[in-house]
Amino acid sequence: MILKKLSELKNLLEDKPVRRLALAAAHDHQSLLAVLKASRDNIVKPILIGDENEIRRIAGENGYELENIKIIHEKDIEKTSELAVKMVSNHEADVLMKGKVGTSTLLKHVLDKTWGLRTGNLLSHIAVFEVETYHKLFAVTDVAMNIAPNLKDKISIVNNSVTCLNMLGVELPKVAVLGAVEMVNESMQATMDAALLSKMNQRDQIKNCIIDGPLAFDNAISLESAIHKGIRSEVAGDTDLLLMPDIEVGNVLYKSLVFFAKANVASMILGAAAPIVLTSRSDSEQAKYDSILLAAASAK
Amino acid sequence: MTAYCLQPHQQNNTTMIGSLEQLVEIVKNRKVKPRMAVTWAQDENTLGAVEKAVKENMIAASLYGNRPMIEKVSRKLGIDTGIFEILHIDNEVAAAKETVRAVKAGEADILMKGLIGTDKFIRAVLDKETGLMKPKAVLSYVCAVDIPDYHKLLFITDTAVLPFPDLDQKVAMAEYAISMAGKFGIEKPKVALIGASEKMGKHFQNAVDYAVMCKMAERGQISPCIMDGPLDIFLACDKQSLAIKAVDTPVGGDADILLFPTLEACNPFYKGLMLFGRGELAGMLMGTQSPVVLMSRSESEKSKFYCIALSCLMAENN
Repeated sequence: MILKKLSELKNLLEDKPVRRLALAAAHDHQSLLAVLKASRDNIVKPILIGDENEIRRIAGENGYELENIKIIHEKDIEKTSELAVKMVSNHEADVLMKGKVGTSTLLKHVLDKTWGLRTGNLLSHIAVFEVETYHKLFAVTDVAMNIAPNLKDKISIVNNSVTCLNMLGVELPKVAVLGAVEMVNESMQATMDAALLSKMNQRDQIKNCIIDGPLAFDNAISLESAIHKGIRSEVAGDTDLLLMPDIEVGNVLYKSLVFFAKANVASMILGAAAPIVLTSRSDSEQAKYDSILLAAASAK
Repeated sequence: MTAYCLQPHQQNNTTMIGSLEQLVEIVKNRKVKPRMAVTWAQDENTLGAVEKAVKENMIAASLYGNRPMIEKVSRKLGIDTGIFEILHIDNEVAAAKETVRAVKAGEADILMKGLIGTDKFIRAVLDKETGLMKPKAVLSYVCAVDIPDYHKLLFITDTAVLPFPDLDQKVAMAEYAISMAGKFGIEKPKVALIGASEKMGKHFQNAVDYAVMCKMAERGQISPCIMDGPLDIFLACDKQSLAIKAVDTPVGGDADILLFPTLEACNPFYKGLMLFGRGELAGMLMGTQSPVVLMSRSESEKSKFYCIALSCLMAENN
């Protein structure tokens, strides 16, 4: 299935039970309103964990009724994270989301050895973009979590992302391993890793996707540009997933897509037992809403 | 499968040379015979092989060495020294220098090692000022092997020079083998990068190098070829194992070239073929400006002769 818009992710939710989302430290203006909007649109069934008075005040001021919404009153922020994570690990919730709590605090509980959401996989970030000038949605990883992934990390990041894209109906995602050039160059580790990932994919050691790299950004997203350069690639021009060499490149690409290309974006953390929505304050309301939608659509 | 196989097939204008006997036929009786300079040519092995090549009308030979010694050995073998040009030099290192100079100056087309120690001979070839290397080239060795049980010639590298080739050296080895296969009329050879398994083991630097090379070939950074690796020898050369293992490889059990990870893997492989597989070979040094024939004394008479024939083929347009 080819998705062109983030709103089309809603189609994936049909015929499935509504996903339950546990919001840790829910007394947070921005995330609470995004969750309540998603709840009103029947995208998720929220479980709000936080200061109940604050939650009711914020909801009331913004015209939301909280009937039929489960609220767990807990003022201690540390405790809200613990409760939210435990609900997911006990299968009482399908998606975890960060409210008014620091990322490190929430992740500490996610990684807790006894009741955390560890799966043995590396945690990684995925961002799904809707851009006017590209013929389908495409994902970018990792722009926020892994700073300078080595080959082993990159394998995990690809695997996390491919599993997610499979859940979103992209059966055989085309993965472009990004470099500054499409040639292999011993002094650019990214191009060497790209060659290795391609071969591991050919040997079925990385499954359920088609990997090619190194590809420069233009070859990855434009078939014309790839043909111009004489690159024969199944991925070029039809990329579903762009694997970044490191966080700097990824982060800059992410922000330039948002600011210059007016892209819509949804993002989340992969590799835990359930999708984790970790939006930042600078994300637009729409981005927060779309991220909740993305997490709900990709939840098992 | 990999899209680089879809490249339009190039027009093949060269005659295909499918066996070493055919190679001999091709280089024999040419109007212009390549001139060979032989360093310290005063042992039975060398003189025997050179005499045969001269008599078969393949080369013209100049022997550099101790004249009385050359004449004595020739007499013993019943060789008429009148078919050679003999240049008297009373010192093997000087002979090496002089033969290298003659080839570099264009007075000879092919260099061949005689009784001189390999290290002394190679030192003269490698000399930065006076030697025979192409600029910045890697010195390596490629053999064309004729095995009755394989359906075509098999080019293998490196049997003799590079003990533990790194990535750059492996790329050079591949380039040399591809260029040699090209002289045999194979325009887009299938190159198998040999390992113990086809899997990308994390602990094998060779597998890492191989993956990088495959991508370089795909991106046109290596001369036109169909490259895959790591592959074991079964997957490289046997269609049946390919079917059993169900590995998707463009080399497809039909390899023209086997590139080995180390000298100690390649050398026993070729010797096994000679001893147990009734194989014959033609091999030479690569990376030099002109062909250099350097062979082991233990090669068969036929193989020695084939080595000279190969150097004649490679000397063309050099």
